[in-house]
Amino acid sequence: MTSTITAGIDIGSSAMKTVVVRHGDGAARPAILARQVERLRHRDVKALVDETYDHTLEKAGVRRDEVAYVATTGEGELVSFRTGHFYGMTAHGRGGGELVPEARAVLDIGALHARAMVVDERGRVLRYRMTSQCASGSGQFLESIGRYLGVAAEEIGPLSLEAEKPEKVSSICAVLAETDVINMVSRGIRVKDILKGIHLSMAGRFVKLLEASGAEGTVALTGGLAADIGLAAALREEAARSKASLRFVSRPEAIYAGALGAAIWAHHRLKKLAALGSEAPSP
Amino acid sequence: MKCFVGIDLGSTTTKAVVLDEDGAVLGRGITNSRSNYDVACAVAKGEAFTNVRFSLCSRALPATTSLDSRKRADLIVDLERHFRLAQHRAQLQALRETVEEEIASIEKFYPHAPVKANVAQILDAMEAAAEPLFARGTARRSDFFRDIAASQYHREATKRACPEKLPFEALMAVFDKSILRSENRELALPFERGAGWAIEKSLEAAGLAGAPEADGLREVLRKAFAVEIEIAESVGTGYGRARLPFEKRQIRSEILCHGLGAHRMFAGTRTVLDIGGQDTKAIQVDENGIVTSFQMNDRCAAGCGRYLGYIADEMNLGLHELGPLAQQASRPVRITSTCTVFAGAEIRDRLTLGQKREDILAGLHRAVILRAMSLLARSGGISEEFTFTGGVAKNVTAVAVLRDLVQRNYGKRTLNISPDSIYTGALGAALFALRAGVKAREEEGAAA
Repeated sequence: MTSTITAGIDIGSSAMKTVVVRHGDGAARPAILARQVERLRHRDVKALVDETYDHTLEKAGVRRDEVAYVATTGEGELVSFRTGHFYGMTAHGRGGGELVPEARAVLDIGALHARAMVVDERGRVLRYRMTSQCASGSGQFLESIGRYLGVAAEEIGPLSLEAEKPEKVSSICAVLAETDVINMVSRGIRVKDILKGIHLSMAGRFVKLLEASGAEGTVALTGGLAADIGLAAALREEAARSKASLRFVSRPEAIYAGALGAAIWAHHRLKKLAALGSEAPSP
Repeated sequence: MKCFVGIDLGSTTTKAVVLDEDGAVLGRGITNSRSNYDVACAVAKGEAFTNVRFSLCSRALPATTSLDSRKRADLIVDLERHFRLAQHRAQLQALRETVEEEIASIEKFYPHAPVKANVAQILDAMEAAAEPLFARGTARRSDFFRDIAASQYHREATKRACPEKLPFEALMAVFDKSILRSENRELALPFERGAGWAIEKSLEAAGLAGAPEADGLREVLRKAFAVEIEIAESVGTGYGRARLPFEKRQIRSEILCHGLGAHRMFAGTRTVLDIGGQDTKAIQVDENGIVTSFQMNDRCAAGCGRYLGYIADEMNLGLHELGPLAQQASRPVRITSTCTVFAGAEIRDRLTLGQKREDILAGLHRAVILRAMSLLARSGGISEEFTFTGGVAKNVTAVAVLRDLVQRNYGKRTLNISPDSIYTGALGAALFALRAGVKAREEEGAAA
């Protein structure tokens, strides 16, 4: 039995995600051999890409020349050794569908944008809706708020779950939020109530996006915020009020959905090229 | 010594101005704002009082020594930098103590990474870097401990981080959490470890430690630090004014304070544009500096100083580097995003595409000033004499773009910018404090 190895690199505005994937011949699902996420935070992305890629290959036990295709999504230009690039929406739809096969919708919550996509059984995007051109309520927004409150990213979800009186937060500017949040703290509002309020306001917007895109049933959560259990709980609360019957599923690999989708599309492209009798283009 | 204090608690910085009983400016102080307003206020005031003491020192020197004016100026510079070094070390120590308290809450998420040992090494490296930072003639990107510490820490963390074994975000999380708590502690810097130490060090640096006049100098300088400063009245203003540890009668709106402060700096002023960190104000004032109309943007960072601050962070530049860089632009680009965060992402794309940093920066400055122009128009236009205040007024490119657009839209106008324009709001507040003090004295007089 032959197998093909591809790599997917998703460079977002806040983090870069790398996966190395083995694809079998038959109906077997692709297997993630290794994965790695690195926050960018003003680091030299080009250097980080090289370092992280080598590290991920090492974990997977794979040499560079064994990778048949390096697929990028997001800011793919920063990966000099890429074989090809896939559009973010396509990659996320495919990755989300792969992680949650029964899902017919994907909600990708990244640092800048949130995207609601309706996908078919192969993870191809049929319809989509995106948030507007303002970062209020984005992932970046939540990340900054955590920093202003002195709460580590891992603590945000569990804290939000403990909230008793969520503080209503209507749209506040992601950049000016620092002072708004500091003002809330100085007014004696508890950190967990602030976080829950933000989660609810984000969730309300995301449910509207899903409704507008025509999503129904199981929704796969992808992107950096899919692992935030506080946001997931807020999504369930908001969805209970929605006419659409939405059920959210988040897998531990959710943040890698874009990278995974790109790696899967890469395999698909290789098969097509093979059928045409040509090889993968060299970078 | 009786004085009047104005505090402007802004979103980015907190400023204090100290006036004497005749309304002359005795000292100014500035610090970064933080979640504990009382501390921000106390630090700004402390900085202003330190500034008062340094000017008392330089005023007292000529009468007591035979040193020539250059040597005296050098002595004051040395005194100040040693004092800053002592302060910096105390802040570093406070950060270290906070890290010790906070580190367990982060470490538990990374059980296999040697977070603690590496953070300790990072702090050691920062300690070692302290002295050169305050060496004579060294330019610092920022004078605020938070900024200095953040950039040093980031550099060290980037060096040490290694995927899996020592995650970068684990190291950064320790800093993020600790810096907030440590800067909310009030620093107690005893005289002998602060000013007292700085006096000895500056005498050493000047080669005067063993000189016959050393004792005289020592006494003069120590006396300047011992002068008792009594606050007769204070007034607070700024974004966080409602939370200042002041009574209601001691609070004034920032619009009123900016109007009055600008009027004090330039008596002919009738229009004031203030581009601060968190808001932009276009104000019209009468011949007494009293506000007649205003317009304000405080809901969105686009068009405020924070817009440029955010971009500076994105580009790893200091705020004061932006203007000079943008001046070198040859073909300014037009930034399409309105939102600051999106503009940040747009800039990363443009840089990746190979566009020049200077050209992008020029486009950003233009975007900020264009927003200000529309605010000015809505407030009633620009009168003959016009004053530009706030942190952005220090930016050469912002000023150049403003001049150009004013000339094109309104014709010839006098544009005033004070080098101390960042203190305009605090100055206005101090003037209100002075008025209240005078009024109280008159009432007392009338009652007697």
